[in-house]
This record gives sequence, structure tokens and C-alpha cells, in this order.
Amino acid sequence: MEIVKKYITNRGKLIFSTVFLSLFVILPILALVFSVVKIDTSNFQYLWDNLLFEYSLDTIYLITITSIFSLLFGILPAWYMSTNEFKFKNIYDIFLYLPLAIPAYIMAFTYSDVLSYTGPIQSFSRKYFPDFADLINQDYLQIEVLGIIMALSLYPYIYTACRLSFSLIGANYINLSRSLGMSRLKTFFKIVIPLSRVAIFSGLFLIIMEVLNEYGAVKYFGVNTFTSGIFRSWYSMQDVETASLLAVLLFFIVVFFFSIERYLNSRYKFNYTPNTKKFKNEPPSFKNRFIIHLVCLIPIILGFLIPVLFIINNVIYEFSRIDFIKVFNLTTNTIIISLIATLIILVIAVYFQFLKRILKNRTITFFNEVISLTYALPGAVIGLSLILLFTSYPFENELLIGSFGILVYAYVIRYMAVGISPLKSSFDKHPSSYDDTAFNLGMGPTKLFRSIHLPINKSAIAIAFLITFVDIIKELPITLILRPFNFDTLAVQTYEYAIEEMIPKSSIYSLAIVMLGTILLIFLKKIVNKEIDVPKSK
Amino acid sequence: MKKILYLSIVVILTSCMPNKNKSKEINIYSQRHYNVDELQYQNFEKMTGIKVNVTKANADELIQRLKNEGENSPADLFITVDVGKLWQASDMGLFQKFEDKSVFENIDPQFLDKNGFWVPVTYRSRVVVYSNERVKKDDLSTYEDLANEKWRGRLLVRSSSNAYNQALVSSLVANLGVENTSNWSEAVVKNFARDPKGSDRDQVKAIAAGQGDIAIVNSYYIGLLLSSEKEEEIKAGNAVSVFFPNQDDRGAHINVSGLALTKNAPNRENAIELIKYLTSVQAQETYVNNSYEYSVNPSVKPDPIVQEWGEFKKDPVDLNMLGIKRDEAIRIFDKTGWK
Repeated sequence: MEIVKKYITNRGKLIFSTVFLSLFVILPILALVFSVVKIDTSNFQYLWDNLLFEYSLDTIYLITITSIFSLLFGILPAWYMSTNEFKFKNIYDIFLYLPLAIPAYIMAFTYSDVLSYTGPIQSFSRKYFPDFADLINQDYLQIEVLGIIMALSLYPYIYTACRLSFSLIGANYINLSRSLGMSRLKTFFKIVIPLSRVAIFSGLFLIIMEVLNEYGAVKYFGVNTFTSGIFRSWYSMQDVETASLLAVLLFFIVVFFFSIERYLNSRYKFNYTPNTKKFKNEPPSFKNRFIIHLVCLIPIILGFLIPVLFIINNVIYEFSRIDFIKVFNLTTNTIIISLIATLIILVIAVYFQFLKRILKNRTITFFNEVISLTYALPGAVIGLSLILLFTSYPFENELLIGSFGILVYAYVIRYMAVGISPLKSSFDKHPSSYDDTAFNLGMGPTKLFRSIHLPINKSAIAIAFLITFVDIIKELPITLILRPFNFDTLAVQTYEYAIEEMIPKSSIYSLAIVMLGTILLIFLKKIVNKEIDVPKSK
Repeated sequence: MKKILYLSIVVILTSCMPNKNKSKEINIYSQRHYNVDELQYQNFEKMTGIKVNVTKANADELIQRLKNEGENSPADLFITVDVGKLWQASDMGLFQKFEDKSVFENIDPQFLDKNGFWVPVTYRSRVVVYSNERVKKDDLSTYEDLANEKWRGRLLVRSSSNAYNQALVSSLVANLGVENTSNWSEAVVKNFARDPKGSDRDQVKAIAAGQGDIAIVNSYYIGLLLSSEKEEEIKAGNAVSVFFPNQDDRGAHINVSGLALTKNAPNRENAIELIKYLTSVQAQETYVNNSYEYSVNPSVKPDPIVQEWGEFKKDPVDLNMLGIKRDEAIRIFDKTGWK
């Protein structure tokens, strides 16, 4: 600490810069809070009396189902992947990431079409197995089905986190536990899961945020979540202030749970020697092999292969009518705008992590958490907050809404958390003696960053870049509400067709999203695997 | 590091520069995002050389944008698929009246706004469809009759957050009063075959699947199903028939898709030219044959599929009522548990 003080003379300025940047990110929330001040509470009272209780119950139920299935789809394959050797392991490993390339709303629209009365499954059963048709011909637009569908597109957040965490734990703990007579099952629940708690929760946090955010699919399935309440007041009751109040409320509920979790986790903070020894990968028995393949294949088939094959089938069917120039233009639009936003996010996120580390300042740590929490706001609400902000003093005479700058700004606000999360764990991992030594050797902070932190956190930066990029490619509500004239992205075009129930027409655009995402995720997987791969210890 | 930061801030700020309007242009905020609209704008551009710029989003989001942008709004026209939203925006003072009455020339007067703020482009009816197998046409009569106990567990309809349902129930409030409509809604909810969900087409598919016997849907969705390229969808469309309710009294509920001139439209003349084009016979035929909606131009006949359902009597209630009564409709939905 003393050393740092000696070498960093402009400490105050640096801290101020992070506060300034944080305000830049959370300004829209302040705009929302400000608009709430003028509220007439009658509509809120009305929603409170009539709907919010039921909406909250549905929200909790949906979150529960999605979480349980995400954990199942994520943890189990990650566990087998880390502790066993089996055929196709590397292929499975790639495919288990890929559902992340499919936006949740595309997954929902696709499955509702696949499962619908006129979809392939029900039609097939009616045609060839009329006796069983009644059993299969059900109404699949149910909250439980929606929960599973959302889990299928979100579980990779858990899988990625667990994959990293399990391999960091290494074999020592496991072997010790086994030799003390604990069963495999007990070892898993008593040792592996508690040690991976933090990682699992960080994945789960993103998943819960996504569920809270979802509106399109939720509405289609006839489910009302808390977010439905926001849109009920905005769209149906034309009361923007009440919508803002609900959004602010949602934000603070998330902050509350987030803080509790942080508090609990900090009490359980423990260090473990990471990864001293690789798992001894015994070839599993026949029965176990069967289970392993089943556990890995279910999320792959349901989460990636079925939806993608369905999309490809539609593309083939529509092929002669596809406007490839348009597909190309929209792909370019999507890539450029996502790239700009991602780079800005990364610069801010890295800047925060680095300063937090070398300055060890509470203000920075605090604001670093704060700027992650905007992820809890639904995209449309961020859009609303920017409209409120940039059409009032001192911007009222500028035409800012509908410019690229504001659109990018909105992405930055929305996806800051996604960029920060992998960086945070990586920057926190390395001992602070690195910095002290560097300062003692006479390095300035810029040099310290360039010659030490940039190289040792290279993988984390790449992971943050890829995950953020994939997420922004899929972004929908913000783009819809804030985009400039005549500006379309792949996600927007997909949505516009899908909402008119022209799923086949939307397919080429969703395929482009999925392909872009897939390419990026394959890179991601390579980097993650490099992290996992340990030097062989004898 | 800092340089990059400053640089990115500069980039953000400079990209925020306002879009300047050129004179040979027109800017539209539209809720309609059908292919047919793109086709219309292209044709218009070819004919007049006026470039059409479009931002498409949800109606309420666009209204919010218009309201907040105020005098600075670049938008000339606002287009939506629900007359309730047109009334709402006109009530908020976001539109200007049409001084030049020639914009109404092509339009059947019964669809016009009495206050002169908006222009209809197409109209559609919210009808009842029934299973050909399990329901006889004579069993159906009016919207009011959907509350009858004989439909217990047989009625399908989508969520109350849907603007078309809100417009339908607003029309009932206008015609029958709050209390009667509330009682009606309470009984109708008891008749639901399942919780409201899905789209209008899903309700038709649910009839085909035997999950219910009758459904409330917009007329053109049947046209879209019947013209589908998927055999199974055509089958689903053929499993039902269209019924126009209240033909012996006030007529079936209709809603219009329409547009309005924003208060400070920077390209007013161009906008009016576009309106005249969109209501012309040529453009109306394009609408009718692509979206199975009805034309507001009396000289344009519906698509042959739609013609088969026959002519029908339309509820003459002032269409602005579909916006004025919306608040009451929403409260009725919530009070009676129509999700």
C-alpha cells in the first residue's frame, strides 16, 4: 500500500475518473428515479392491489424452474467432462457452449413452433401413430415448458463457470475425500459444489437477470412476470412513471439479493490450492459411460441441434426467396455496432479492474459493483430511461435519440456486467505482490499494466470480449426502440418476422446470428481450455 | 489507456450529431413491420423520388419517443395497427389536423376520424371462429352471447395485454357500459378453455387440436393460415369457419390500422403525398392481397379468400372510443381475472 502511494501521485484524479465513468453508466437509472419523483401513485396502488402479488409468484416460479434446469444441464456435464475420459469428449465440450449462440426468444419461438399442433412432432404422431396422438397432442405453452426452454439457452453460463472452477479445484481434494471413505456422490456435494459456490452463483446470477429481463417469450407463453407489470403500466395503462417506479423497484430488489449473496459468500471465503494435480481419469464402466453420454447429449440435442436443424430446414425451404444482399448488410450492421460497444465496455471494465487492484480503494470497489447491476434492468427500460434523459435539459434541443452514439451507449450500460464478470475473477486471482515488486522495480502504472497485467489477464480479456460480443449480437429490445432510421440488425429482422409468425422467413437471419455466435464461441472454448489445461505434474 | 478513454468519449459524442433532414425525404415511426409495407415504400420512392426512412418499434415506445422529442422530432408520420393508440397520441397533442381535406378523398367516410387527426389505411374485424366439427353456426350470435354458460370450457382467446383484445372490450364498454361489460368479462373468463396465451393463430390451432371449440381472432389470420404453404396450417385453417357477431344488431367490431401527421412534421408535403399514395387503389390492392385486411378505399375488393366469408355489418361506434375506453377495459380485465 505504502509503495503504491509513493508511485501513484495522481491517486485522487484516478479515483475521480472511475466515479465519473460510473455516473456515465448509471445516469439512466438516475433519470428513471428522477422521473418517479413526479409520480401519481394511484396506478401503482392499483397494480399493487390487483396484479403484483400474482406476477411476483409467477416470477419466482419461473426463476426456480429455469435455475434448476440450468444447474442440471450445466453442472453435470461439466463434472463428467472434468473427471472422466470418454469418446467424443472434445466435440461435446464445444457443443455444450453453443446454445449460448441462440437467443432465448429464438429458442422460445422455435420450440413453440416445433411443439405446436401444426409442428412436426404433433403432425407426425397424428399421421403415423393416431392411437398415441392424443397423448402427444398437448398444449405446450406452459410456464414449466418455458422454464426448460429458457434453461436450454442459458445453461452455458453455468457450464462455463463450472468447467473453469472444477478444473481449478484439481484432484487433490477429490482424492483425499475419496480416500477418507466418502462416496463419489458425497464428494460431489460436500467438496466440489461448496468449493465452486462462487463460480456457480456468478453464472446463476446472469441467468436470473436474463429471466427477469425476458418479455417477448414470457408474454407469448401467457406467463406474467414482474417485467410484465412494467410493460402493463407502460403499454396498456400508458403510465410511464409507474413503469419507471416498477423498474427502479426491480433494480433495488436485485441489488438487495445481490448484496446478501455477496455478504454470505464473503463470510465463507476460503482459499484453496488450485490445480496441483489433474484428475485421475479412469475409464468409466459401461453403465457410467451410458450415463455420461446421456447427460452430455441431452442439453446438446435439445439446446442446439434441434433448434438449429429446424432453422436450417426452414432456410432450405425459403432458400429461393432469400435476399442475400440484405442478409449481408444486416450482418455487417450487427458486427460493426456490436464491436464498437464491446470495445468500449472492455476498456471501461479493464480500467476499473486495474485501478481497483493497484489503488485498493473502497470507492472504486463499490462503483465496480454498481455498474454491473444495470444488467438487472430490462432492455426496453434502459431505452426508456435514455429517451427520458436525452430529451430533457440540457439536451432538449439536440436530436440525440435515434443516433448511433446513443444506441451504443445503451448497449454499454446494458452489458457492462457481462464484460466485468470474467475480468474480475481473473484480476483478483493474482497475488498483489506482483504489483509491489513491479513498483519497487520502478515501473509506473502504465508500464505495470502493459507489461504485467495485460499479458497475465489476456485470456480473461479475450473471454470477456467474446461473451459480450455474442450477447450484443443477440440484443433486441434496445435496438428496436433506439435505432436510427432504416437501421436493422439481424436480431431485429428475426424478431419482426417471428412476431408476425413468419418463422421460415426469419430463419436465415437467426441462422446468421447462430453462425456468428458459434464461431465466436468456438474461439471462446479454445481460450477457456487453455486456461483449464494444466502442466502435467508428476 | 486514458487516451483510449478520451478518444472513445469523443467518438460517442461526435456520433451523437443530429441527423439533418433533407427535403426529398420523409421520416416514419411505424408499428407495422410487414413485408407489404416495405414494398409500398419502394413503389412510392420509385414514383416520386422521395426517400422513405422508417423506424419500426412498438407503438407505445414510439409514442414515448414522439412525446419526448417534442418539436425536435424528425418524424413526419406515425403509423400503428390499433386506432386506440392513434387516439391516445392525438389526445396527447402529438398530431396536427389535416387541413388539406383531399387526403380523405379515397377513403370511405365511415372509417374517418371525426376530429380529423388520423387517416385509416386498412381495417380488420375481430371475429369469432368456430370448429366445423363441434359447433353449429346457429349456436353463435353475438359477442355478448360468449358469456353464455353453454361455452363453459370451450372459449379460446389470447392475453389481455394484446391491443386487439383491449380494443374489442373498449368497444363493448362504449356500447354496453362498464357494469355490463364487467359482468360479461367475468362470465367469459369462466368459459375459457385455458389460460390466455399465444397468438391469434395459436387459438385457431388449438381449436384444430380440440383444446377448445370457439376463439376470438382477427379476421386476416384465417386468410394467412389458409394461404400458408404448410399443409398442416391449411388444414388447421380449414377446421374452422369465420363468424361475424352481432349482425342482427349493431354489427361486428372493427379496428383500423392508420397513420397521422406529427405536430411538427418537417416534411409535411411529402408525408401527405405518401398518405394519398397509400390510400390509392394501387396501394390498397397491394395491402389487401398480401395481408388479407380490408381496404378503406370503397373501390377495392378484398382478397378472394376473404370475399368468401361474405359482406358484414360493422359496429358504427366512433373508433376513437377504442382509445377513450381503454383504461376502463384494462381495469375490467384485471378485476375479472382475464390474464
